[in-house]
Amino acid sequence: MLVVSSIGLCDDLHAVKPAVFLESSIKDTTINLTNDYRYLKTGYYVSLHAEVLGSQVIPSCENIIDASRTPILLLRAQKANIPTVPFLVTDNVKKIIKEVGLPVVVFAVNPFIHEGYKVAKNQSALYRAMKSLGMNYKFTVCAQPLRGELNTVKSVFGKTELADEQISAISQKVYELFRIPLCKLHVQKAEDKAFLCGLEPLKETELSKADLKLISKEIMLISQQGNHIGV
Amino acid sequence: MSRIACFVEKYNFSDPREEAALQNFKAAAEKSGSQFSFLFRENIQDIPNYDAVFIRATTDPLFTSYIVSKTAWELGKKVIDDPESIKICANKIHQYALFEKHNIPRIPTVFLSKDDLRHKKITEIFDTLGKPVVIKAPYTSFSRYVEKAACETSFREVAKRFFKKSDVLAIQKFTPTAFDWRVGVLGNDILYVCKYMIPKGKWKHGAKLRGKPTVIWGRTVSVQKKDMPPRLREVALKACSVIGKGLYGVDIKEVNGEYVVVEVNDNPSIYAGYEDQMDPDIYQRIISHLSA
Repeated sequence: MLVVSSIGLCDDLHAVKPAVFLESSIKDTTINLTNDYRYLKTGYYVSLHAEVLGSQVIPSCENIIDASRTPILLLRAQKANIPTVPFLVTDNVKKIIKEVGLPVVVFAVNPFIHEGYKVAKNQSALYRAMKSLGMNYKFTVCAQPLRGELNTVKSVFGKTELADEQISAISQKVYELFRIPLCKLHVQKAEDKAFLCGLEPLKETELSKADLKLISKEIMLISQQGNHIGV
Repeated sequence: MSRIACFVEKYNFSDPREEAALQNFKAAAEKSGSQFSFLFRENIQDIPNYDAVFIRATTDPLFTSYIVSKTAWELGKKVIDDPESIKICANKIHQYALFEKHNIPRIPTVFLSKDDLRHKKITEIFDTLGKPVVIKAPYTSFSRYVEKAACETSFREVAKRFFKKSDVLAIQKFTPTAFDWRVGVLGNDILYVCKYMIPKGKWKHGAKLRGKPTVIWGRTVSVQKKDMPPRLREVALKACSVIGKGLYGVDIKEVNGEYVVVEVNDNPSIYAGYEDQMDPDIYQRIISHLSA
């Protein structure tokens, strides 16, 4: 099993740097570790290179793209029975107010903004959110009703440090579906239930020592289980 | 009766030749008893109400068109362009890596990573491909983000600009020709054949006039399918076979009697009086493919 990593891992873990991997033709089950899996960035090209070589790799290019496009993340999550709330893709403020209502959480769906969301509790806040995330109303956004409290959790191979069972279960299921080893998840809790809202890249500085230890542990586990990465 | 949604953006109606082609698709669908509706971004949630989705807006994994394609695909609809074709065709690095793997005749190409933009590497590239070279951003379309560089200074200037968005670029041997073949392929079959002429004094089909933002386009010369050189046909179909079974426009150069693939495009341009000139049945064939 090959670990390609752009982040400094614990000493017990042998990993190849992305630049070295991209120049190589090493064909092996590959775990691509980076805090940033955005499309067109090095993390994407690592998975692409592994796929073209014919290797099993996590995450796959398809999952990298789909997980970062909020409407597709939610659609595929729904199909996999991961709780979500209804969402609307639009560039029209009035339509959001009519069909989703307020308060609302809005995610960008455009080529330029890769992270972040905005919560709007009234119409003028929604106009501001749409103006900023839709880049002057040029692009659509993905709007979801905000029914409770929005939580952001780190997911390391599907594990979260949060004690909330429902959020942990969502994190695990999202990992099983998309196999993104490192990411942040936005989950809302309403009426004692948790609902997936979005996923975004981690900043490298957000990875703690405990996270790095957890990465080592998870990779050891995959190795002990015969390099089964669930692809 | 099949219900077909044609996903378009406002700009698809800005050129009368494209608008006429869109109306030709609508007429062909209605003639064969299908419903054909234009679907704009504000009505994406209506996708479940259709049997098939035909995307005419520009495709890219980062554009709304990908959301439309993947949503339709996940809902089990017929879709042109399918998400896998968008993923491969919208990223030329992916495409050229597949061409290399499957030995598709192609223009000599090397990849350059962001961290590799060094004097030694640039010299190596010039030694391998000669001067000038063509620097191509993976997300190129309509001849944009493809530029020539003949020295290290201009190489670095272009590469740095393209690296802002993508961490890997494709560098190709400069291969000037009077025209590029454009072969339309649908479901592993030839749909139409054209020559995209290169404007005089330029090296690509769509070129900017010096110092001006306007793009001038070379002529489109439609060719009868029966007159298509057999080797051209073979290379075009082989290139598409590593991508999928959708609708593609394959750009091929004829160099010293050999046919080499420049790129395969999903979402190929179809303008009334141009690509359809020798093959007016292309509208019907695409509609039949969607409603089959």
